[in-house]
Amino acid sequence: MSNGRGFEEQERERRVRRRVFYLTFAALALILGGFLIWKLRILILPIIVGALLAFLFRPLKERFEVRWLPRELQVLCSFAAIGIVLFFAFNTFRKHIPDEEQKLEFKVRFKYKLNQRYRQLVAKSPEGKSNTVVALLEKQLGPFMDKINEVLALNPEERNLFLKYAAGYNGKPPIESKFVDYFRANQTTGKYVIPEKNAAGEISPAVSATPASAPPSAGEEGTSLESKLSAWMLAPLIFIFLGFDNGQVRRFFISLVPNRYFELSLTVLDRLDDAIGRYLRGTLMECFLVGLTLTLGLILLGIPLGIAVAIGVVSGLLNAIPFLGIAIALVIGVGYALIAENVTPLIPGLNPNDLVWYVLILVVITHVLDDIVFQPFVLGSAANVHPLVVVIAIIAGSLIMGVWGMLFAIPTVVVVETAGATFFKELKDYRII
Amino acid sequence: MSARKFAADKLLWETLGRWKRSSPELDRIQFLKTVPFFDRLSNRQLKTVSDIMFGRTYDTDEAVFEEGQPGAALFLILDGKIAIEICRETSTTRLAVLERGAFFGEMALLDDTPRSANARALEPTRTLALYRNDLDGLMHRHARTACQIYRSLASMIGDRLRSTNELVQMKAPADTVGIE
Repeated sequence: MSNGRGFEEQERERRVRRRVFYLTFAALALILGGFLIWKLRILILPIIVGALLAFLFRPLKERFEVRWLPRELQVLCSFAAIGIVLFFAFNTFRKHIPDEEQKLEFKVRFKYKLNQRYRQLVAKSPEGKSNTVVALLEKQLGPFMDKINEVLALNPEERNLFLKYAAGYNGKPPIESKFVDYFRANQTTGKYVIPEKNAAGEISPAVSATPASAPPSAGEEGTSLESKLSAWMLAPLIFIFLGFDNGQVRRFFISLVPNRYFELSLTVLDRLDDAIGRYLRGTLMECFLVGLTLTLGLILLGIPLGIAVAIGVVSGLLNAIPFLGIAIALVIGVGYALIAENVTPLIPGLNPNDLVWYVLILVVITHVLDDIVFQPFVLGSAANVHPLVVVIAIIAGSLIMGVWGMLFAIPTVVVVETAGATFFKELKDYRII
Repeated sequence: MSARKFAADKLLWETLGRWKRSSPELDRIQFLKTVPFFDRLSNRQLKTVSDIMFGRTYDTDEAVFEEGQPGAALFLILDGKIAIEICRETSTTRLAVLERGAFFGEMALLDDTPRSANARALEPTRTLALYRNDLDGLMHRHARTACQIYRSLASMIGDRLRSTNELVQMKAPADTVGIE
């Protein structure tokens, strides 16, 4: 009897010791984990991107599995195929990256065309009278145009370089004379809004007088860029290693789960995998379709193939950010339409001078198509997130991680929502809660 | 079995035998060979199945699953003993005690209908679990292997149905007599 009580006592003490040990270990692990995450936060994004890419490409890898070929060789073959595609895509893309001369030319052209359009927009009637709408436009757009002009203005160094290129420099032929004319015209572009003078006759500053923060030194910038680049080297590595994974990662995590939650964890993981996979792959497909629609539309409007593809790719990718993606597509498309020259639309009867309006209509059509055709068919019921949650998530994402945060905001919401719902449902089904 | 498949099987088995003479992987495959559920599978197919199985260890009196929980996996006993029991308000009825090589929870491979009984370890027990969705996944990648497993499952369910029918038939005349 006393032996039995002694054993019970020992067992109780053991339980207490075990609890203390687990709690201490968990606290230490949390502190260490938090410290490591904080210190290695630069690696988080590349790891997420690498893992996400591996996750997205998994069905493709499984789809083209050849049974008689060793698995490692298969994975290497798929990576080689992806590498070749990326290489050609990058090479094609590189051809369209403007060099120094083209950048200067682009800035000059953009500034000239933008001002030309603005002047056309706010032009007074032949009698010299301006109506209320024009006055309002002038008042609202004037300061904005001044700011854009400031951004697009060439600095003295760039001006000298442009003049050198205009005469033929660095083994390149002289710049077209019309761009030189644009350059000259840009020099005479004044301000649209005259700063008001205050009582003392001094010009009130347009911007607040706070001193601008000092730009980082070249050394600091270089080191930061280097560390960022080396961190991003991790993304393809993660992608490759997860590509070789044959369920070992999942098996490892499942092995850590207590027996009581074994089947529950398998079910939850599987449902999550399914929901997130459907959402992410659906979004990727939706982005592709949006990009394709815009590209085809721009080609029909007579925009050169390279530019149309570039606008389509950027707009398609950014379409993953709800609301903002289409706005950026609009800005890029209309921005190009403003400066486009010698455009011959493939659709007969279109006036090249109204290209801006056509691009606007194209973006609206794409957006409508996306809403009523692509999203319902491709995404279906993969994710049903309330618009208000979408807006809040995007703002929160941008505050936390900038553009990347905006891009990952909705997938994160989908993961959390699906995980929460599935987890609670399964906990109830397994009678754990 | 085609010549190519036979050669591939032989190569795999010899390689495993040479390099991993006493590896857990080889042990597991050899164990699977002895389970009637997988008796139609070749060595290569057994390796594929072994790759998607989860090893679990249970202490004495630890529950593997409980009655009413949604089923998700089939369990094979590697070592130890498992009791299959049903609990009613006041009593617990032990239906069977399963030992090495036996399997239980096989209906979970078909759907997630609730478990019809409790499974509890009577001594420290090692099991292998085959998850339903992994078997579904195998259907896409190794259709023949998955089909063989489903065929074994179907034939086992058929056997049980026949036994149940026989029981019903044996009981039916007596009932009829009783009514008369």
